[in-house]
Amino acid sequence: MTLNSSMTIDVKVRNTLVDLGVLNASDVRALFQEALHTAENELMEFSRPGPSDVSQAAKVLRDRWLARKGGIVSLIDRNWLKPAPEELKPAVGAEFNALRQLVGAMLSTESLLMSFENAANEAMADLPGRTPRPTAPPDLTLPGRRRPLGSVHPVTQVMREIEDIFLGLGFSIESGPEIESVYYNFEALNIPESHPARDDWDTLYVDSQTLLRTHTSPVQIRAMEKHGAPLHIICPGKCYRHDNPDSTHATMFHQVEGLAVDTDISFADLKGTLDFFARKFFGEKIHTNFFPSFFPFTEPSGDLAISCVFCDGKGCRVCKDSGWVEVMGCGMVHPEVLRHGGIDPAQYSGWAFGLGVERFAMMKYDINDIQLFHQGDVRFLEQF
Amino acid sequence: MKISLNWLKEFVEIPVDPHRLKADLIGVGLNVESFGAAGDDLIFEIEVTTNRPDCLSHYGTAREVATLYRQRLKPLEYTLRESSAPASSEASIEILDPELCARYCGRVIQGVEVKPSPEWLKQRLEAVGQRSINNVADVTNYVLMELGHPLHAFDHARLTGHKIIVRRARVGERLRTLDGVDRTLGAADLVIADAVRPVALAGVMGGEDSQISGSTRTVLLESAWFEPVFIRRTSKSQGLHTEASHRFERGADIEMAPKALDRAADLIVQLAGGEILRGALDVYPAPQQRNPIMLRRSEVQRVLGAEVSWEEIERFLRALGFEVERRGTDGWRVTPPSFRLDVSIEVDLIEEVARHYGYNRLPSRVKPAPARVTGSSVREVELKISETLVGIGYREIIPSPMIDPDENARFTDRPPVVLANPLSQEASTMRSSAIPSMVRALKWNLDRYRNDLKLSEMGRTYTNRAEGLPEEKQVLTLGLSGRRQGASVHGTEEGIDFFDLKGDVEALLEAFDLPGLAFEPAECLYHEPGLGGRFVAGQTPIALLGKLKESLARDYKLRQEVWLAEVDLDFLLKASLRHPSFKPISKFPPVERDFSLVVPETTPYSSLEAAVRGLGLEETQSIMPVDRRRSEELASGTIPGGHASLLLRVTFQSPTHTLASEEIEAASQRVLEALEPLGVRLRA
Repeated sequence: MTLNSSMTIDVKVRNTLVDLGVLNASDVRALFQEALHTAENELMEFSRPGPSDVSQAAKVLRDRWLARKGGIVSLIDRNWLKPAPEELKPAVGAEFNALRQLVGAMLSTESLLMSFENAANEAMADLPGRTPRPTAPPDLTLPGRRRPLGSVHPVTQVMREIEDIFLGLGFSIESGPEIESVYYNFEALNIPESHPARDDWDTLYVDSQTLLRTHTSPVQIRAMEKHGAPLHIICPGKCYRHDNPDSTHATMFHQVEGLAVDTDISFADLKGTLDFFARKFFGEKIHTNFFPSFFPFTEPSGDLAISCVFCDGKGCRVCKDSGWVEVMGCGMVHPEVLRHGGIDPAQYSGWAFGLGVERFAMMKYDINDIQLFHQGDVRFLEQF
Repeated sequence: MKISLNWLKEFVEIPVDPHRLKADLIGVGLNVESFGAAGDDLIFEIEVTTNRPDCLSHYGTAREVATLYRQRLKPLEYTLRESSAPASSEASIEILDPELCARYCGRVIQGVEVKPSPEWLKQRLEAVGQRSINNVADVTNYVLMELGHPLHAFDHARLTGHKIIVRRARVGERLRTLDGVDRTLGAADLVIADAVRPVALAGVMGGEDSQISGSTRTVLLESAWFEPVFIRRTSKSQGLHTEASHRFERGADIEMAPKALDRAADLIVQLAGGEILRGALDVYPAPQQRNPIMLRRSEVQRVLGAEVSWEEIERFLRALGFEVERRGTDGWRVTPPSFRLDVSIEVDLIEEVARHYGYNRLPSRVKPAPARVTGSSVREVELKISETLVGIGYREIIPSPMIDPDENARFTDRPPVVLANPLSQEASTMRSSAIPSMVRALKWNLDRYRNDLKLSEMGRTYTNRAEGLPEEKQVLTLGLSGRRQGASVHGTEEGIDFFDLKGDVEALLEAFDLPGLAFEPAECLYHEPGLGGRFVAGQTPIALLGKLKESLARDYKLRQEVWLAEVDLDFLLKASLRHPSFKPISKFPPVERDFSLVVPETTPYSSLEAAVRGLGLEETQSIMPVDRRRSEELASGTIPGGHASLLLRVTFQSPTHTLASEEIEAASQRVLEALEPLGVRLRA
């Protein structure tokens, strides 16, 4: 026989008898015997203890041999029987029928089940074909087979939405350390230790010169030092406060800081840009209202309020009946702060804002407890 | 600050209703949080920013109202009936530290009768949140609320030598303050002393011993000005925050001192009788002058983007108490009043203009930033990772990185960053490993009967350094527990194992161009031995993954197995994303070839794959182990002990032609030859 013995049955069934050099009835018989033995071996292999998932293994084995498309039996039909030389056809046909019957019986569910006396009874129940082929179609009202998707944290979602709006306006993203020097967090921002305004930021300290940044504003100074003017940036990130946790206070939270510095920037740019941003974020129907406030790093300083999204400005619990909700602080960058960033305030001016991301998310999704954001509870996370 | 509407009306006419007043005050920066009725009065609760101590009074608030509605602010004029006896013969004042106390005014009132205050006074104080004490003390508080200047009344008889000396405390000097606390003072404290001992903590609180009592007959009334920074420091170091210190540390009005004094003296005589001795004692060694500021109209335009008329600018500033003189063609010389220490540069004046012009009247424009070509690659990478994580089922968490240091130490030996003033022991350290946060989050959910968990965090770790700011590293953490596939009509339950975690990490890393990427088993502090490993890119470890050590899982009281991975996000953010480069799709059929192999247990699969790949066979499409059994799992004698059977499926495909059986045979032969040195052979 000219058959190459190292060639597996898988390869052989993909070739015609002529290609395989099978030219007489005895070779045909040997070839079919080989196929049968392979099937027997694989069945033995299968029936030994081992596979953790019996029904799956059984299915693999059945498909390998009996699948209508690409199963070994069907390949034999296609490659050996159909193109067989006329003179060999009867022999091949007889062998093929015998093989088909034997393998079919061997790999029937009952046979496989018997091979598996103890271990697999239960698992076999799922084997396709064990129950008589149903005459009715499957119950299509059963739920679909789901592969659960994950989810992006609502704070991240809101942060990205904010970033996207400003990226669209040509701003770029900057970041800085969360553990900051007192200089960048306070002094460079015109908040000397001696000023009572310092008390507006309850601070967690590492030592007398190092703290957990209380806002993302230090990134303003770092970015000015690094890039100079003109500058259009936003700085998203974590901030920390020495606040006892409750439903509206968290020791860790997120801010997005924005800063624009250029030769031709006025309060009008601040108003226009933040109005655009607020309406883009909260919906075009809302109104914005700017009113004076105080931050040591801006002058003039302001707060931005939007018409309450819960009551359309009519007055409710959320807006304390005022119809307005404060959403962020803003202002024209204080000349002293520009100087600390190495920028000449006579030549350049700038505006800046800072907003709390959790607060935005709370407004957007009507969340009433800031602690929910940081617990990692999937009952919360899966809602977004 | 609580502001009484009736009280306000004593200084200014208010031509609008309270709702409008509230909105307008907010419009000029006096944040009215609420207002409510108190008898026939209305009380406004106003949040006054730290820069506006002048508005911590009814008179200061009235000035804003007057400016808003173009009303006249009632001037403060007090004419006192004084006795012929001079005050100077009954008391003397000396300031030893004029830097810290720039002015000290005093008056002596003899023959007072200390008793409860009349009802109207009690009610008014109560309405603005002050407790009534007695008529003399109440007057000082009343004037504080009215004019914003802190006063103090001493029992003149208790002042040894009838002297007032303003000086630094001597180290170890003691003073019992009005709150009954015995305080030990030091050179960092400024005191009001009599001839021998301190009688008040300057600008903060009076002493108990010299306070007004039922037996007080003669009162020495103090109205002074103390240096803000120093008062703030004293108040902080003594842990004592009072109405007085609140105003002094924000900057009181030095010119208000004598006026408030006269107002209070007058009221005391009205309510407690007695007579005011002639002359105010006023020690004011260096009268303060405000420096004028040049204000340019062009600068107003530059900052506000609005053209505000000359007249409007002048009207606002004058009404707010500024002296305004036109200078040149473009501006003014503006002198701020003594009560506006917050205004010192041009832009401060511009804010005053903007406040009263109305922020909402100012123009508005949207001007995008100048276009720049910058690749925000970091964000791109973050989005890519996030997208992959969502696709393979991870829910993002954002835990606080503040944790317990002992917990941190169980997962890493890198030193964390310890906080000096933490809120609690559990949040006293900035973590140097993100794993404890992930374990906590898994536990939180397991304890709440959520069993199938895939969580991810993109956060930072913080490592202390000998010098400079701590090192902050970005890290991606994955946490897995429960079942890959829950109970369902469509299939059986399947538990998660190491290869779920590994596959997820592989899916993540696949997005990047990482030369020399390889996996190797590795030990780790918190992994169960033998069930952990890492991915390296060349020599750099970039991901650690494994099963949480059983002892740790027990300590956390976890109900089920937990799998964890930490990925060096800094590395990935710097690495380049794999740039797709199209390869033509082969038109020719692939051929699968199964190798049934016997492999020594000590030979890792990765070396087999490496050997086959090392052949560099162009037609090798994929290499996939499809079945593996250890010898114990097979009938004895089937394969030798210490070996495993492995069914390796190699797919061959050529881009140029249908592979002939000879070619496949040749390639198969080479595969077997490459495996042979590893002790791998075909199964008989």
